[in-house]
Amino acid sequence: MSEQIREQVSAFLDGELPDSETDLLLKRLTRDAELRDSFGRYALIGEALRGASPGMLTQGFASRVNLSIDGEPVPAPLQPQASRTPRWWRPFAGLGVAAGVAAVAIVTFQQRAVAPPGVATPGVATSGVVAQVSPAAVIKVAPGMPVADAAGPLSAQNHEALSYTVPTASSESNAAIAPARLTNYVFAHSKYSSGLGQRGVLADLLIEDDAPAQVAPAPVKRAAQ
Amino acid sequence: MTEVLRPRAHWLAPCAVMGALLTALPLCALGSDDPREWLEKMNHALATRNYDGTFFHLSEGRLETMRIVHRVRGGRVTERLASLDGSGREFVRNNDELTCYLPDQHTVLVEPRQDHGPFLGSLPQFGAAVNDFYLIESLPSTHVLGRAARVIAVSPKDQFRFGYRLWLDEKTAMPLKTQLCDSRGQVIEQIFFARLDMPETIADAELQPAVRTEGMHWVHQGPSRDTASSVLSAYGASELPPGFHLTVQGAQTLGGASVPASHLVYSDGLATVSVFVEAERDPSAQSPGATPHDAPQEAPMQGLARVGSGFAFSTMVQGHQVTAVGEVPAQTVEFIAHSVKVLNGSEAPSH
Repeated sequence: MSEQIREQVSAFLDGELPDSETDLLLKRLTRDAELRDSFGRYALIGEALRGASPGMLTQGFASRVNLSIDGEPVPAPLQPQASRTPRWWRPFAGLGVAAGVAAVAIVTFQQRAVAPPGVATPGVATSGVVAQVSPAAVIKVAPGMPVADAAGPLSAQNHEALSYTVPTASSESNAAIAPARLTNYVFAHSKYSSGLGQRGVLADLLIEDDAPAQVAPAPVKRAAQ
Repeated sequence: MTEVLRPRAHWLAPCAVMGALLTALPLCALGSDDPREWLEKMNHALATRNYDGTFFHLSEGRLETMRIVHRVRGGRVTERLASLDGSGREFVRNNDELTCYLPDQHTVLVEPRQDHGPFLGSLPQFGAAVNDFYLIESLPSTHVLGRAARVIAVSPKDQFRFGYRLWLDEKTAMPLKTQLCDSRGQVIEQIFFARLDMPETIADAELQPAVRTEGMHWVHQGPSRDTASSVLSAYGASELPPGFHLTVQGAQTLGGASVPASHLVYSDGLATVSVFVEAERDPSAQSPGATPHDAPQEAPMQGLARVGSGFAFSTMVQGHQVTAVGEVPAQTVEFIAHSVKVLNGSEAPSH
C-alpha cells in the first residue's frame, strides 16, 4: 500500500478526507480485497488511537497502546499521545499492540460458550458443553486485531469497542449445518428479525461466501423429552 | 381583597416560575437528551427520509462495502441494498415486494414482504418489558464522518442477547455508525458510513439493480399459504431464556424441501429467534427448487454454525430436524433448540 493511500485511509477515518478523494478511496476499496482487509483493521485501530470513543476504552488498552508507541508505559490519557504520532504511522503502531495482546482474548472468550451460572441449557449439562469446546480451536483472534481486556459487567465506563474476536471452526468439526440449508433458514428468518439485526442478516446474505464458518460440534444429545 | 391578594400573588410568582421550570425540565431532557427519543428519531429518519450512502460492514475480520439507496415518494418506499465487492448481490424492495438478485447463483428471488421496515433496520418501541433486559443510555458525544454524533448504547443485561451502540448524526438522527456487541461489550459486527447523502429527490436509475438478469433463474414466491402438519405444529420451546416469548407461529416450505416446516418466532422485544421444525427429508422427493448439491445434505444435522452476526443451532428431536436461528449469542439458539418438544395443549414455555 502506498503512503498516499495510507494517508487517505487515515484521513478518511479522521473524517478529514475531501469528498472527491473519498470517492476515489471507495473505488479502490471495491476493487482491492487486500486494501479492504487492511482498512478493516485500521478502522478499529485508528479508532482506538484517535481516542474517538474515550468512554469505550479500557485503561488497560490505552496503556498498551502507549507502551507500543513510546516503548514505555505512559499512564496519560490516550488522545494527547495519539496526536503526537504521525497519521500514517498510527495504524501500524496499533498492529504491534494487537499481536501482543491477542492471547488475552483467547482466555477471555473461553467463557463464551458456557451458560451463565444457574442457567442450564435444557437437556444438556453445562459441563457437557464445556467438554465439547476446545478452547484453542474455537476461538480465533483475527490477525492484527486489537483485543480487549477481560471485561467486567457492561457499563458506560468500560465498553470496549476494539476487539474483533470471533469464534470460528474447530479443527475437528465438519459442517454442522449444510450451507445451502443454512441460507434458506437465514432467509426465512430475515422476515422476522427485528431491529437492527435485520441489517446484519441482509448484509450477510449479500456477501459472496455463503459457506459459514462452523464452530464446535454440539454435544450429540437429544433434547429433553 | 385585592390588597390582600397582591402580596400573595407577589409571593406566588417565583413559585410559579420555579414550578414551571421544574415541569419543563423533564420535557427539555426528553427533547434533547433522552436516548429513547433519539432512537425514535433514528427510526423516523430511516423510514421517512431519502438517503443514498456507502457503508462498510465489518464482521469476522472481513470488510464489505455496500451501498444503500432509500427513497420515499408519494407514500411508496423503494430501496436498494447492494454489495460493491465481488458478489454483485443486490436486494431491491419496492414497497411490499422484495427482489434478491444473486448473480453468483444465477438466481433472482422475488417474494412479498409486508409491514417490513427499512433495509437499514430500526429499533422497536421499547416497552417496559424491554427495560428488564436492556439498559439504554447516552454515552459521550463524538464525531463521525466529520459530523457531531450522539452516542446511544443499548446494552444487554445478560448473556442471552446482543446489544447495540449507535452513533447518530446530531442533525438528522441517521445512524452514521452502528456496532453490535455482546454482553461484555465486545464488538461483533460494525457498520459505518463512508458517505451519506440525503437528497430531496432520487432518480429511478439509482434504484435499478446493476445486475444483468439475462439467463438468470427467476423464483417467485407467493404469499405463504403453507400449513404445517399437526405433528410438526405440536412442537414448541418448553423453556425459553428470560424475556423471550412466542410472537409468530406459522409454516413455511423451505428451499429444497417438499413439505412445509413449522416456523416459530420467539422474541424478547428486540432480538428474535426463529425455530424451524421439519420432518426428516426424503432425498427422492425434493421440490423443483432443489439443486443437485442438496442431495447429500439430507443427513440429519447436529451442531452450531455461525451466521454473520448470529448463530444457528440444529438438532434432532424425535426424528424431526429442529433448527434455531437468530442474531443472538450461541447459547441462546442452543438453549431454545434443546428445549423444543411436543407441547401438551396450552402448555406455555417456562423461563
